[in-house]
Amino acid sequence: MTEAEELELARQDHRHFGVVYERYFEQIYRFIFKRLGGDEAVAGDLVQQTFMKAMANLSKYEDRGLPFSAWLYRIAQNEVNMFFRAQKKHYFVEINDRQLTGLLEETAGSHTFSQEDLEQLVAIINNLEEPQSDLIELRFFQEMSFRDIAEIYNISEANAKMRLYRLLEKIKHQWKPAL
Amino acid sequence: METSIMRKFKVNTAAKPKEPTKEQMVRYKDFATISHQYQRLTKRPKKPLYKDPKLFLLLLVIGIVILLICLEA
Repeated sequence: MTEAEELELARQDHRHFGVVYERYFEQIYRFIFKRLGGDEAVAGDLVQQTFMKAMANLSKYEDRGLPFSAWLYRIAQNEVNMFFRAQKKHYFVEINDRQLTGLLEETAGSHTFSQEDLEQLVAIINNLEEPQSDLIELRFFQEMSFRDIAEIYNISEANAKMRLYRLLEKIKHQWKPAL
Repeated sequence: METSIMRKFKVNTAAKPKEPTKEQMVRYKDFATISHQYQRLTKRPKKPLYKDPKLFLLLLVIGIVILLICLEA
């Protein structure tokens, strides 16, 4: 049975959605878990909400040639952002120097970095608007391909590359080399 | 008004990239619960309210009281 057929069955009876849930649970959980910086309980709640929303809105889903997982990632992305927005205090997500390396090479153009460089870069990212910091996160911290990012945002791969290129230019502009 | 995001990144050079374990994922994988919640949210009550004997009786009593009041007036 194809996935399109499975989804059609799930539209008629939600219990058939279990097959789709089984298939995508782990990758969606992993995505949310990493976005939250490792909070397993909150990730557990958000992954359930993600699938609940997917099930409730399955009739609105249209197969436009993109994988079904892209639609699920989009819902998960929104769920996590809603969670962040609902926080009364800042919610800190820890990242290490290895995760920042690629981004530092792109922006500072060097392979050696000081602690100040890392702090400066994180400060710049923290001041970006939500869609921009999300894009940085997907590409450099979640290490997603341009193809996957394009599918989540429902844009072309070239457009995803262009958005990131402009964003890196913006970061470069704000970057002040350590003396 | 745009709501600002409360997520902030923090550098911790000692932190390892976070990956969930198989056990963690198994702990939260539960289709039965969301299926049950979904069913509760979307399913209409089996019996229409007016077919509920207690509610029917209550409506009947209210109707009679209103009728009596009207007749009295």
